[in-house]
Amino acid sequence: MDAEQDFLLLDCGMEMNMNQEKERYASGGCIMQLQNYSVNDGDGIRTDIFLAGCPLRCRWCSNPEGQTLHNPMTRYMTVEEVVAAIRKQRIFYRYSGGGVTFSGGEATMQTGFLRTLTERLYDMGISLALETCGCFDFDEVKDILEKMNLIFCDIKLMSEEKHRQFTGVSNQVILQNIPRIASLDVPLVIRIPVIHGLNTDEENLKQTFCFIREHAPHARLELLPYHTFGEEKYRQLGLELPQASFGRPAEAELAAWEKTASEMGIKTISFR
Amino acid sequence: MMADRKRNETEPMRVTAAAAILFLFSGRRMPVHPKAEELQQLEEGTELITERIEKIRQNYVNAKPAISCERAKIWTESHKRTEGQHVAIRRAQAFYDTCNQLAVHIFEGELIVGAIGEFRKCGILTPEFSWLWVDREMDQFDKRPQDPYVMTEDQRRFMREKIFPYWKGKSLEEAFLARVPEETRKIAVDTGVVDNDSKWRQAVGEITPDYQDVLFVKGFGGIIRQAREKIAQLDETKPEDMEKIIFYRSVLLTSRGIIRYAQRYADEAERLAGEEQDEKRRCELMQIAANCRRVPEFPPQTFYEAMQFLWFTQIGGILSENPLSLNPGRFDQYMNPYYQKDKAAGRITEEQAQELIDALWLKYSEWVWTISANTADYFAGYNQFQNLTVGGRTREGLDAANDITYMALKATEEVKTHQPGLSVRVHADCPDEFLGAVTHLVSSGTGFPAIHNDSVGYQMLINAGYEPEDARDWNNCGCVVPHYRKTGEWTAAVNVNFGSALEYALNEGKSRMTGEQMGLPEKPCRDFTSYEEVKEAFYKQFKNLCRHSIIVTLEAQKLHQEMVPRPFLSSCIEQCMEDGKDLSMGGAKYNVGPVITGIGLAVVANSLAVIKKLVFEDHVTTMAELDAALAADWEGYDDLRSQAQAVPKYGNDDDYVDSIALEIANWYYREIHSYKDIFGSPFLTAFMGISNYIPMGRVLGATPCGRKNGEPSSEGVSPYVGSDTSTPLAAMRSAAKLNQEIHSGGTLLNLRLNHELVATKRGQANLGAMIQSFFSLGGFHVQFNTLSSKVLREAQAHPENYKDLLVRVAGYSTQFVNLSKSMQDAIIARTEHAEM
Repeated sequence: MDAEQDFLLLDCGMEMNMNQEKERYASGGCIMQLQNYSVNDGDGIRTDIFLAGCPLRCRWCSNPEGQTLHNPMTRYMTVEEVVAAIRKQRIFYRYSGGGVTFSGGEATMQTGFLRTLTERLYDMGISLALETCGCFDFDEVKDILEKMNLIFCDIKLMSEEKHRQFTGVSNQVILQNIPRIASLDVPLVIRIPVIHGLNTDEENLKQTFCFIREHAPHARLELLPYHTFGEEKYRQLGLELPQASFGRPAEAELAAWEKTASEMGIKTISFR
Repeated sequence: MMADRKRNETEPMRVTAAAAILFLFSGRRMPVHPKAEELQQLEEGTELITERIEKIRQNYVNAKPAISCERAKIWTESHKRTEGQHVAIRRAQAFYDTCNQLAVHIFEGELIVGAIGEFRKCGILTPEFSWLWVDREMDQFDKRPQDPYVMTEDQRRFMREKIFPYWKGKSLEEAFLARVPEETRKIAVDTGVVDNDSKWRQAVGEITPDYQDVLFVKGFGGIIRQAREKIAQLDETKPEDMEKIIFYRSVLLTSRGIIRYAQRYADEAERLAGEEQDEKRRCELMQIAANCRRVPEFPPQTFYEAMQFLWFTQIGGILSENPLSLNPGRFDQYMNPYYQKDKAAGRITEEQAQELIDALWLKYSEWVWTISANTADYFAGYNQFQNLTVGGRTREGLDAANDITYMALKATEEVKTHQPGLSVRVHADCPDEFLGAVTHLVSSGTGFPAIHNDSVGYQMLINAGYEPEDARDWNNCGCVVPHYRKTGEWTAAVNVNFGSALEYALNEGKSRMTGEQMGLPEKPCRDFTSYEEVKEAFYKQFKNLCRHSIIVTLEAQKLHQEMVPRPFLSSCIEQCMEDGKDLSMGGAKYNVGPVITGIGLAVVANSLAVIKKLVFEDHVTTMAELDAALAADWEGYDDLRSQAQAVPKYGNDDDYVDSIALEIANWYYREIHSYKDIFGSPFLTAFMGISNYIPMGRVLGATPCGRKNGEPSSEGVSPYVGSDTSTPLAAMRSAAKLNQEIHSGGTLLNLRLNHELVATKRGQANLGAMIQSFFSLGGFHVQFNTLSSKVLREAQAHPENYKDLLVRVAGYSTQFVNLSKSMQDAIIARTEHAEM
């Protein structure tokens, strides 16, 4: 059943793409937020464009409004509106070495919208970054990825079963995509949302580090400790809080894991 | 400068070694470029500041300031002896007598000496300017909420019996009140509409002594020689020379006075040294004695002597007039040569120099400006605005940062005094290290430094008629006024309430709070049929307030010439000495027009935007309904108020309303600039804040922007509090639209930041980039309050006022006020941790 779901997901994506073949570009899309003065998703002062829609349903999700396109916390924006807003921020990007980071949700879900935005901003000379869960049709978005100055890609769990259990989908597409992203000429940061009760066991972390070493040897690693800032959003959306007893690792634990990764030859980075 | 920034006197922030280590581990108080040995030292528990400084600091934090009557006593007795003489001579003689008689106090552990009274944390009284308000208010001095002072019953009796009777009918305040036209008085005396009380209840101050070309070159001994030579060249039979001779004679008296004062401290230091058991302290006292024998009579030879000279100059200024804004100016520029020379000669270590700077900061802070409750509302926080400027460019145009620049920033960070008012000049190519030190100080949460755009400061002075070299050499005066050490200028002449002009336009010329006719007559608000008509009515009232602002300033300027010439401070200004002309007579090289400060720009722009949109564009309400809502203080008009609050607000980079603010600011410049002062200099505009937006809001009824009766107005070019709901970046973009460089009296933008955003070096680097971005857009000044846990709690309770607080976590979007309570608590706890 799970395999089917994965298939369906990709299939569904391809179908969408076929429908959009004539229109690989979209003139607008659903936005959760344009967040100026973002400072943790790449260099300098940035605008995070949170695009709605996500193939995953992570139990710890801090942006649940990004799981669907249409909800009280999202709105439709045209490319022109987004570009106009970005234009006002350019001076801050210039002085800080910042730019725009596409986030979500999963930014690649609205592929046409993302492509249009990417090309427009690329032509304006704005430094671009993408934060992704890695769950997409690589060939479909390759041209977008190539325009990025930095890509953040998550590895949440190495166990396919656990991945399915906690995110609703298999991790196979993600793990297949990572080496392909790593082969692009774009700096890559692998992000692990480190969450007690989910993925901080030695086995998972070790497997993850080994995977990075093998399949994305030039990628840097950033550990993002779990937080519950999103709780209020669940209430606002009338969603039930996911039932799970997740915990935030201590700074000392993060440091220890980073040390282990370094010892394995993986470079770490922090945008804090 | 802002009430927020005022030190909390009851909750001292300690900088003990233990706390320092905590900061270190939380990544907060790291030196900009920590050297391995520095880290080692910190970890071993070495204190950041010396034990001596910490002890003085503890007293500064915990002691309540007390009033000394001694200066008033000597001053008054001297005046009784000099009846009938020239006023400049009388004031100079009183100054000499004060220097000669005031009891000498060297307090425990002091390295830099000189007291203005018997208390370590001390304020003095200047009845020659005003005694009426003192008489009226002194029974409440220790009880008043803003800036209380300790004063005993005996002191009060003494003042009432021995001092005030002499000054009855002779004070500046009484003369001003007698002369100001009735129509003007009604709108400009203790009204909160047009306010210049600091110019007739107090001395002007607002001066930057010239250390570079006068004091450190000549010493007061040299000034005496110069005055004698000048007198010898003048002819008493020539009427035009008479005034000059009087000036030089007055300077002879004040110069001898300040030298005499120093000699008495030398005597006392020697006496104490004779009694001192502790050998180390005995040596210190002998050194102090030697310093006081040398300065300020002679030019300083060492860093230490120069530091003592600086304080004696402040003493002279304080004893002569208890001034506001007696600015040390470009401290790093004139002190660095002494430091480098001493260091090369092995006479001083970095630690010793730092301790002296720390000691001077405490001296600046122990003097308390004695002001009326009304003035204290406008200049809250015992703030005497001794502005000290570091960084920027040299007269030649090179980067000016040096060792002393960094030590000054460090002193403010470590000693955490409210004085000096530390300003920095940031230029486009300033060293990373400098901007790093500036943003690091911001992250420490003192509210300092005031960060200024080097090139806009330059442009503001060029616009006011300065030569390029002098304009490049600018320093700050008071809070944000670009100034220069060869300048005579009233940098905070008047505060004018923009909100009142709008109120009178909409309320038939009457105050909403009192119903009194204050402005020009106007037709009822409901009869306005277009936005243009409303605007025109506003400008009509505004013009009237500007006119009264000019009248009160001209009256005050004339009175200062007649009644309170300033020989001591004039002797610190090159051209005054050259031409034999007092500062009050326009003796400085540059006589720059008085600065009229506009208060409430954001409130008025927001309010006009509401009228334009809701009444005349969207037709969702009428002038009559809006008028009724304002009269009812919005009670019963919740829906309309919500609609008004939803109209674009200044500070969010929205041209709909920002363009209105721009139009008002441009108009204000043209209007004010069209008037000339008694020296023929055009008046200048400013958008400064001190705490003036609070009393000016208190007299203002509800405003169309959604503000309620009596709530604070807006300050400087800052957005109305809580109405900048996007980011500080948007507020900066709005403020930068205002052609800031034409407002040569300075502009002020206060922003708040969560501590978490600037806790890391990376966060501080981004802050630096943000400042440079703002400056590239034409902004002049920005100052950041990093928010204390206390303020965050306030935000938790009143989210509507704190929509601008940012929370930033990777890949996550929200604002502080949208977090759940428990999440907010977590952030507050972390902030508290960092404050420990």
